[in-house]
Amino acid sequence: MPAALAGAVTVLLDSAAARKLPGAPLVDKALEGVAKGAPAERILVAVRTVFAQLDAAATVLGETGSASADAVEAGAFALAAGLAASDIAEIARIADRAHPAATALQVAGTLTALGVPRAETVALVRTTIRSGRPVGDLVSLPGQVQAAMAGGSPPAAAAAGLERAAAAHLAPRPRGKGKGQGNPHKP
Amino acid sequence: MSREFHPLVKQLLDGERTLSELPPELQAEGAEALRLLEAVDRRDVTFSSRLEARVMREVRQRVAARRNRANSDPVLWRWLTAPSVPPWVVGAVLAAAGIALVLGRPGSGNGPAMVAPATAVIPESVYVKFLLFAPAAKRVALAGTFNRWDPGTTPLVRLGDDGVWTVTLGLPVGQHQYAFVVDGQRWVVDPAAPAVDDGFGRKNSVVSVSAAQGRVL
Repeated sequence: MPAALAGAVTVLLDSAAARKLPGAPLVDKALEGVAKGAPAERILVAVRTVFAQLDAAATVLGETGSASADAVEAGAFALAAGLAASDIAEIARIADRAHPAATALQVAGTLTALGVPRAETVALVRTTIRSGRPVGDLVSLPGQVQAAMAGGSPPAAAAAGLERAAAAHLAPRPRGKGKGQGNPHKP
Repeated sequence: MSREFHPLVKQLLDGERTLSELPPELQAEGAEALRLLEAVDRRDVTFSSRLEARVMREVRQRVAARRNRANSDPVLWRWLTAPSVPPWVVGAVLAAAGIALVLGRPGSGNGPAMVAPATAVIPESVYVKFLLFAPAAKRVALAGTFNRWDPGTTPLVRLGDDGVWTVTLGLPVGQHQYAFVVDGQRWVVDPAAPAVDDGFGRKNSVVSVSAAQGRVL
Protein backbone atom coordinates (compact mmCIF):
# COMPACT_ATOMS: atom_id res chain seq x y z
CA MET A 1 0.00 0.00 0.00
CA PRO A 2 1.46 3.42 -0.92
CA ALA A 3 2.69 5.35 2.10
CA ALA A 4 0.39 8.32 1.60
CA LEU A 5 -2.64 6.07 1.33
CA ALA A 6 -1.56 4.06 4.36
CA GLY A 7 -1.26 7.31 6.31
CA ALA A 8 -4.74 8.43 5.33
CA VAL A 9 -6.22 5.04 6.19
CA THR A 10 -4.45 5.15 9.55
CA VAL A 11 -6.14 8.46 10.31
CA LEU A 12 -9.51 6.90 9.50
CA LEU A 13 -8.67 3.89 11.67
CA ASP A 14 -7.89 6.23 14.57
CA SER A 15 -11.24 7.96 14.05
CA ALA A 16 -12.99 4.61 13.92
CA ALA A 17 -11.34 3.52 17.16
CA ALA A 18 -12.34 6.77 18.83
CA ARG A 19 -15.96 6.15 17.83
CA LYS A 20 -15.72 2.46 18.79
CA LEU A 21 -16.29 1.35 15.20
CA PRO A 22 -14.73 -1.88 13.85
CA GLY A 23 -11.55 -1.09 11.91
CA ALA A 24 -11.15 -4.32 9.95
CA PRO A 25 -13.65 -3.34 7.21
CA LEU A 26 -11.64 -0.18 6.54
CA VAL A 27 -8.40 -2.11 6.13
CA ASP A 28 -10.14 -4.70 3.97
CA LYS A 29 -11.47 -2.03 1.64
CA ALA A 30 -8.05 -0.40 1.30
CA LEU A 31 -6.38 -3.74 0.55
CA GLU A 32 -9.12 -4.52 -1.95
CA GLY A 33 -8.54 -1.25 -3.75
CA VAL A 34 -4.81 -1.85 -3.95
CA ALA A 35 -5.37 -5.38 -5.24
CA LYS A 36 -7.75 -4.09 -7.91
CA GLY A 37 -5.27 -1.44 -9.04
CA ALA A 38 -7.51 1.49 -8.15
CA PRO A 39 -5.93 4.96 -7.86
CA ALA A 40 -5.12 6.07 -4.33
CA GLU A 41 -7.74 8.84 -4.38
CA ARG A 42 -10.48 6.39 -5.31
CA ILE A 43 -9.37 3.95 -2.64
CA LEU A 44 -9.58 6.70 -0.06
CA VAL A 45 -13.09 7.60 -1.20
CA ALA A 46 -14.13 3.96 -0.92
CA VAL A 47 -12.64 3.63 2.56
CA ARG A 48 -14.36 6.84 3.67
CA THR A 49 -17.64 5.45 2.33
CA VAL A 50 -17.22 2.32 4.43
CA PHE A 51 -16.43 4.51 7.43
CA ALA A 52 -19.60 6.52 6.86
CA GLN A 53 -21.67 3.33 6.56
CA LEU A 54 -20.21 1.94 9.79
CA ASP A 55 -20.83 5.24 11.54
CA ALA A 56 -24.41 5.46 10.30
CA ALA A 57 -25.11 1.87 11.31
CA ALA A 58 -23.58 2.41 14.74
CA THR A 59 -25.68 5.53 15.28
CA VAL A 60 -28.92 3.80 14.33
CA LEU A 61 -28.15 0.61 16.23
CA GLY A 62 -26.98 2.53 19.27
CA GLU A 63 -30.44 4.04 19.55
CA THR A 64 -31.98 0.56 19.54
CA GLY A 65 -29.43 -0.91 21.94
CA SER A 66 -28.02 -3.33 19.36
CA ALA A 67 -24.62 -1.79 18.62
CA SER A 68 -22.31 -4.81 18.91
CA ALA A 69 -19.36 -4.86 16.48
CA ASP A 70 -20.98 -7.70 14.51
CA ALA A 71 -24.26 -5.82 14.29
CA VAL A 72 -22.53 -2.61 13.20
CA GLU A 73 -20.66 -4.46 10.42
CA ALA A 74 -23.84 -6.20 9.35
CA GLY A 75 -25.69 -2.89 9.40
CA ALA A 76 -23.01 -1.28 7.26
CA PHE A 77 -23.28 -4.19 4.83
CA ALA A 78 -27.05 -3.74 4.68
CA LEU A 79 -26.61 -0.03 3.94
CA ALA A 80 -24.06 -0.82 1.22
CA ALA A 81 -26.51 -3.33 -0.27
CA GLY A 82 -29.18 -0.63 -0.57
CA LEU A 83 -31.23 -0.58 2.62
CA ALA A 84 -31.93 2.73 4.35
CA ALA A 85 -31.07 3.73 7.90
CA SER A 86 -34.77 3.50 8.80
CA ASP A 87 -34.83 -0.11 7.55
CA ILE A 88 -31.80 -0.94 9.72
CA ALA A 89 -33.51 0.60 12.73
CA GLU A 90 -36.72 -1.35 12.17
CA ILE A 91 -34.92 -4.63 11.75
CA ALA A 92 -32.86 -4.01 14.88
CA ARG A 93 -36.05 -3.29 16.82
CA ILE A 94 -37.64 -6.53 15.61
CA ALA A 95 -34.55 -8.63 16.40
CA ASP A 96 -34.59 -10.66 19.59
CA ARG A 97 -32.38 -13.10 21.48
CA ALA A 98 -33.32 -15.96 19.20
CA HIS A 99 -32.79 -13.80 16.08
CA PRO A 100 -29.85 -11.48 16.80
CA ALA A 101 -29.65 -8.13 15.04
CA ALA A 102 -26.37 -9.03 13.31
CA THR A 103 -27.91 -12.13 11.74
CA ALA A 104 -31.13 -10.34 10.76
CA LEU A 105 -29.19 -7.49 9.15
CA GLN A 106 -26.89 -9.86 7.25
CA VAL A 107 -29.92 -11.67 5.91
CA ALA A 108 -31.65 -8.41 5.01
CA GLY A 109 -28.55 -7.09 3.23
CA THR A 110 -28.18 -10.33 1.28
CA LEU A 111 -31.85 -10.27 0.25
CA THR A 112 -31.41 -6.71 -1.01
CA ALA A 113 -28.24 -7.70 -2.86
CA LEU A 114 -30.31 -10.39 -4.59
CA GLY A 115 -32.66 -7.69 -5.86
CA VAL A 116 -35.49 -7.89 -3.34
CA PRO A 117 -36.87 -4.35 -2.88
CA ARG A 118 -36.47 -2.70 0.50
CA ALA A 119 -40.10 -2.94 1.57
CA GLU A 120 -40.33 -6.65 0.76
CA THR A 121 -37.00 -7.32 2.45
CA VAL A 122 -38.02 -5.71 5.71
CA ALA A 123 -41.47 -7.33 5.62
CA LEU A 124 -40.01 -10.79 5.05
CA VAL A 125 -37.45 -10.48 7.83
CA ARG A 126 -40.04 -8.99 10.21
CA THR A 127 -42.65 -11.68 9.58
CA THR A 128 -40.12 -14.50 9.79
CA ILE A 129 -38.84 -13.30 13.16
CA ARG A 130 -42.30 -12.62 14.57
CA SER A 131 -43.55 -16.01 13.46
CA GLY A 132 -41.17 -17.49 16.03
CA ARG A 133 -39.46 -19.75 13.52
CA PRO A 134 -35.92 -20.81 14.39
CA VAL A 135 -33.00 -18.63 13.36
CA GLY A 136 -32.00 -21.24 10.77
CA ASP A 137 -35.19 -20.39 8.87
CA LEU A 138 -34.19 -16.74 8.88
CA VAL A 139 -30.67 -17.55 7.70
CA SER A 140 -31.96 -19.71 4.87
CA LEU A 141 -34.20 -16.98 3.40
CA PRO A 142 -31.69 -15.74 0.79
CA GLY A 143 -31.20 -19.28 -0.47
CA GLN A 144 -34.94 -19.79 -0.72
CA VAL A 145 -35.37 -16.53 -2.59
CA GLN A 146 -32.58 -17.46 -4.96
CA ALA A 147 -34.12 -20.88 -5.56
CA ALA A 148 -37.43 -19.22 -6.41
CA MET A 149 -35.63 -16.81 -8.74
CA ALA A 150 -33.96 -19.75 -10.46
CA GLY A 151 -37.49 -21.01 -11.14
CA GLY A 152 -38.38 -17.76 -12.87
CA SER A 153 -39.88 -15.77 -10.01
CA PRO A 154 -38.89 -12.09 -9.73
CA PRO A 155 -37.12 -11.26 -6.45
CA ALA A 156 -40.04 -9.23 -5.08
CA ALA A 157 -42.54 -11.98 -5.81
CA ALA A 158 -40.25 -14.63 -4.35
CA ALA A 159 -39.90 -12.66 -1.13
CA ALA A 160 -43.61 -11.93 -0.95
CA GLY A 161 -44.40 -15.63 -1.30
CA LEU A 162 -42.07 -16.52 1.54
CA GLU A 163 -43.54 -13.75 3.65
CA ARG A 164 -47.05 -15.14 3.15
CA ALA A 165 -45.81 -18.57 4.17
CA ALA A 166 -44.22 -17.15 7.31
CA ALA A 167 -47.36 -15.10 8.06
CA ALA A 168 -49.40 -18.31 8.05
CA HIS A 169 -47.54 -19.25 11.22
CA LEU A 170 -48.74 -16.04 12.80
CA ALA A 171 -52.47 -16.55 12.01
CA PRO A 172 -54.51 -17.71 15.05
CA ARG A 173 -55.83 -21.25 14.72
CA PRO A 174 -59.63 -21.54 14.53
CA ARG A 175 -61.23 -23.08 17.64
CA GLY A 176 -62.81 -26.52 17.30
CA LYS A 177 -66.61 -26.53 16.71
CA GLY A 178 -67.34 -29.96 18.07
CA LYS A 179 -67.11 -33.43 16.64
CA GLY A 180 -68.08 -33.67 13.00
CA GLN A 181 -68.97 -30.01 12.69
CA GLY A 182 -65.66 -28.28 11.98
CA ASN A 183 -64.75 -30.21 8.83
CA PRO A 184 -67.17 -29.81 5.92
CA HIS A 185 -65.64 -32.83 4.17
CA LYS A 186 -66.23 -35.22 7.02
CA PRO A 187 -69.32 -37.46 6.60
CA MET B 1 18.63 -21.77 -3.04
CA SER B 2 15.80 -19.20 -3.45
CA ARG B 3 15.94 -16.18 -5.68
CA GLU B 4 14.03 -12.92 -5.51
CA PHE B 5 13.01 -11.56 -8.90
CA HIS B 6 12.38 -7.92 -9.72
CA PRO B 7 8.67 -7.02 -9.19
CA LEU B 8 8.24 -6.38 -12.93
CA VAL B 9 9.68 -9.82 -13.69
CA LYS B 10 7.22 -11.30 -11.19
CA GLN B 11 4.44 -9.63 -13.17
CA LEU B 12 5.86 -11.28 -16.28
CA LEU B 13 5.66 -14.67 -14.54
CA ASP B 14 2.07 -13.89 -13.48
CA GLY B 15 1.12 -13.20 -17.07
CA GLU B 16 0.45 -9.51 -16.42
CA ARG B 17 3.24 -8.36 -18.71
CA THR B 18 5.02 -9.64 -21.80
CA LEU B 19 8.76 -9.93 -22.15
CA SER B 20 8.85 -7.09 -24.65
CA GLU B 21 7.18 -4.78 -22.09
CA LEU B 22 10.05 -5.13 -19.64
CA PRO B 23 12.72 -2.41 -19.58
CA PRO B 24 15.88 -3.35 -21.48
CA GLU B 25 17.86 -3.88 -18.27
CA LEU B 26 15.35 -6.54 -17.13
CA GLN B 27 15.00 -8.44 -20.41
CA ALA B 28 17.71 -10.96 -19.55
CA GLU B 29 16.30 -11.56 -16.08
CA GLY B 30 12.82 -11.97 -17.54
CA ALA B 31 13.99 -14.50 -20.12
CA GLU B 32 15.81 -16.47 -17.41
CA ALA B 33 12.70 -16.46 -15.20
CA LEU B 34 10.56 -17.77 -18.07
CA ARG B 35 13.09 -20.49 -18.77
CA LEU B 36 13.00 -21.61 -15.13
CA LEU B 37 9.19 -21.56 -15.12
CA GLU B 38 8.99 -23.82 -18.14
CA ALA B 39 11.06 -26.39 -16.32
CA VAL B 40 8.51 -26.65 -13.47
CA ASP B 41 6.49 -29.86 -13.35
CA ARG B 42 2.87 -28.77 -13.91
CA ARG B 43 1.25 -32.16 -13.93
CA ASP B 44 -1.95 -32.44 -11.86
CA VAL B 45 -1.45 -34.00 -8.46
CA THR B 46 -3.73 -36.92 -7.64
CA PHE B 47 -4.10 -38.88 -4.45
CA SER B 48 -5.02 -42.51 -3.97
CA SER B 49 -8.37 -43.38 -2.40
CA ARG B 50 -6.47 -45.26 0.34
CA LEU B 51 -4.74 -42.05 1.36
CA GLU B 52 -8.07 -40.22 1.49
CA ALA B 53 -9.57 -43.00 3.64
CA ARG B 54 -6.59 -42.84 6.03
CA VAL B 55 -6.84 -39.07 6.36
CA MET B 56 -10.60 -39.17 6.99
CA ARG B 57 -10.12 -41.88 9.63
CA GLU B 58 -7.59 -39.65 11.37
CA VAL B 59 -9.91 -36.63 11.16
CA ARG B 60 -12.82 -38.59 12.69
CA GLN B 61 -10.58 -39.88 15.49
CA ARG B 62 -9.43 -36.35 16.28
CA VAL B 63 -13.00 -35.05 16.33
CA ALA B 64 -14.09 -37.90 18.61
CA ALA B 65 -11.08 -37.34 20.89
CA ARG B 66 -11.87 -33.63 21.18
CA ARG B 67 -15.48 -34.43 21.99
CA ASN B 68 -14.44 -36.94 24.68
CA ARG B 69 -12.05 -34.47 26.27
CA ALA B 70 -14.67 -31.73 26.25
CA ASN B 71 -17.24 -34.02 27.83
CA SER B 72 -14.89 -35.29 30.55
CA ASP B 73 -13.82 -31.86 31.77
CA PRO B 74 -15.52 -28.97 30.01
CA VAL B 75 -13.87 -26.27 32.10
CA LEU B 76 -10.36 -27.60 31.63
CA TRP B 77 -11.04 -28.23 27.95
CA ARG B 78 -12.16 -24.66 27.38
CA TRP B 79 -9.04 -23.37 29.13
CA LEU B 80 -6.76 -25.59 27.10
CA THR B 81 -8.22 -25.22 23.65
CA ALA B 82 -7.13 -22.35 21.46
CA PRO B 83 -9.95 -20.30 19.86
CA SER B 84 -9.02 -21.42 16.38
CA VAL B 85 -7.52 -24.43 14.69
CA PRO B 86 -3.97 -23.87 13.45
CA PRO B 87 -4.13 -23.05 9.75
CA TRP B 88 -1.70 -25.82 8.88
CA VAL B 89 -4.20 -28.41 10.15
CA VAL B 90 -6.88 -27.09 7.82
CA GLY B 91 -4.43 -26.82 4.96
CA ALA B 92 -2.94 -30.29 5.53
CA VAL B 93 -6.33 -32.00 5.66
CA LEU B 94 -7.55 -30.20 2.55
CA ALA B 95 -4.37 -30.75 0.57
CA ALA B 96 -3.92 -34.41 1.46
CA ALA B 97 -7.46 -35.60 0.92
CA GLY B 98 -8.81 -33.17 -1.66
CA ILE B 99 -11.91 -32.89 0.44
CA ALA B 100 -14.85 -30.93 -0.84
CA LEU B 101 -17.18 -31.01 2.11
CA VAL B 102 -19.53 -28.12 1.74
CA LEU B 103 -21.87 -26.24 -0.44
CA GLY B 104 -22.54 -24.86 -3.85
CA ARG B 105 -25.89 -24.56 -5.57
CA PRO B 106 -27.71 -26.42 -8.38
CA GLY B 107 -26.62 -24.11 -11.07
CA SER B 108 -27.13 -23.34 -14.69
CA GLY B 109 -23.60 -24.46 -15.41
CA ASN B 110 -22.20 -21.02 -14.72
CA GLY B 111 -21.96 -21.14 -10.97
CA PRO B 112 -21.35 -23.35 -7.96
CA ALA B 113 -23.15 -26.70 -7.71
CA MET B 114 -24.80 -27.51 -4.35
CA VAL B 115 -24.12 -30.58 -2.30
CA ALA B 116 -25.25 -31.29 1.23
CA PRO B 117 -23.29 -29.54 3.98
CA ALA B 118 -20.83 -31.66 5.93
CA THR B 119 -21.22 -32.14 9.64
CA ALA B 120 -19.00 -29.69 11.46
CA VAL B 121 -15.35 -30.70 11.30
CA ILE B 122 -13.81 -27.54 12.74
CA PRO B 123 -16.24 -25.49 14.86
CA GLU B 124 -14.87 -22.04 13.94
CA SER B 125 -14.68 -22.51 10.19
CA VAL B 126 -16.59 -24.26 7.44
CA TYR B 127 -15.30 -25.67 4.17
CA VAL B 128 -16.78 -23.90 1.16
CA LYS B 129 -16.30 -24.95 -2.45
CA PHE B 130 -16.02 -22.23 -5.08
CA LEU B 131 -16.60 -22.99 -8.76
CA LEU B 132 -16.25 -20.89 -11.90
CA PHE B 133 -16.93 -21.86 -15.48
CA ALA B 134 -14.18 -20.14 -17.49
CA PRO B 135 -13.11 -22.36 -20.40
CA ALA B 136 -10.93 -19.70 -22.03
CA ALA B 137 -9.00 -18.81 -18.88
CA LYS B 138 -5.37 -19.77 -18.44
CA ARG B 139 -5.51 -19.29 -14.68
CA VAL B 140 -8.12 -18.34 -12.12
CA ALA B 141 -7.64 -17.20 -8.54
CA LEU B 142 -9.91 -16.20 -5.68
CA ALA B 143 -9.52 -12.96 -3.73
CA GLY B 144 -11.64 -11.75 -0.86
CA THR B 145 -11.89 -10.55 2.69
CA PHE B 146 -10.78 -14.00 3.87
CA ASN B 147 -7.33 -13.72 2.22
CA ARG B 148 -6.82 -9.95 2.35
CA TRP B 149 -7.75 -9.68 -1.33
CA ASP B 150 -4.54 -11.40 -2.41
CA PRO B 151 -5.26 -13.61 -5.43
CA GLY B 152 -1.75 -15.02 -5.23
CA THR B 153 -2.66 -17.07 -2.16
CA THR B 154 -5.72 -18.87 -3.53
CA PRO B 155 -5.42 -20.23 -7.06
CA LEU B 156 -8.20 -22.40 -8.45
CA VAL B 157 -7.56 -25.74 -10.08
CA ARG B 158 -8.96 -26.62 -13.48
CA LEU B 159 -11.13 -29.76 -13.49
CA GLY B 160 -10.50 -31.71 -16.67
CA ASP B 161 -11.31 -30.13 -20.01
CA ASP B 162 -14.80 -28.81 -19.21
CA GLY B 163 -13.64 -25.32 -18.34
CA VAL B 164 -14.63 -25.58 -14.68
CA TRP B 165 -12.23 -24.17 -12.10
CA THR B 166 -12.54 -24.95 -8.41
CA VAL B 167 -11.07 -24.45 -4.95
CA THR B 168 -12.24 -25.48 -1.48
CA LEU B 169 -11.43 -23.26 1.47
CA GLY B 170 -12.03 -23.32 5.18
CA LEU B 171 -13.78 -20.02 5.90
CA PRO B 172 -14.46 -18.52 9.32
CA VAL B 173 -18.11 -18.36 10.26
CA GLY B 174 -19.59 -15.04 9.16
CA GLN B 175 -20.00 -13.05 5.98
CA HIS B 176 -17.31 -12.58 3.33
CA GLN B 177 -16.95 -10.67 0.06
CA TYR B 178 -14.92 -12.05 -2.84
CA ALA B 179 -14.33 -12.15 -6.58
CA PHE B 180 -12.58 -14.41 -9.04
CA VAL B 181 -9.48 -13.07 -10.80
CA VAL B 182 -9.12 -14.45 -14.32
CA ASP B 183 -5.69 -14.45 -15.96
CA GLY B 184 -4.34 -12.07 -13.36
CA GLN B 185 -6.30 -9.05 -14.47
CA ARG B 186 -10.03 -9.60 -14.97
CA TRP B 187 -12.15 -9.43 -11.80
CA VAL B 188 -15.29 -11.54 -12.16
CA VAL B 189 -18.21 -11.94 -9.77
CA ASP B 190 -19.64 -15.33 -8.93
CA PRO B 191 -22.69 -15.55 -11.22
CA ALA B 192 -24.57 -17.65 -8.66
CA ALA B 193 -24.04 -15.43 -5.62
CA PRO B 194 -25.49 -12.08 -4.52
CA ALA B 195 -23.39 -9.05 -5.42
CA VAL B 196 -22.80 -5.62 -3.92
CA ASP B 197 -21.01 -2.53 -5.23
CA ASP B 198 -17.34 -2.60 -4.37
CA GLY B 199 -16.81 1.17 -4.49
CA PHE B 200 -14.44 0.84 -7.45
CA GLY B 201 -16.95 0.57 -10.26
CA ARG B 202 -17.28 -3.20 -9.99
CA LYS B 203 -19.17 -5.66 -7.81
CA ASN B 204 -18.18 -8.15 -5.15
CA SER B 205 -19.86 -11.46 -4.52
CA VAL B 206 -21.08 -12.26 -1.02
CA VAL B 207 -20.96 -15.56 0.84
CA SER B 208 -22.40 -16.16 4.31
CA VAL B 209 -21.23 -19.14 6.32
CA SER B 210 -22.77 -20.53 9.48
CA ALA B 211 -21.45 -23.36 11.61
CA ALA B 212 -24.83 -25.08 11.67
CA GLN B 213 -25.77 -24.78 8.03
CA GLY B 214 -22.55 -24.32 6.11
CA ARG B 215 -22.71 -21.93 3.19
CA VAL B 216 -26.03 -20.10 3.19
CA LEU B 217 -25.32 -17.51 0.47
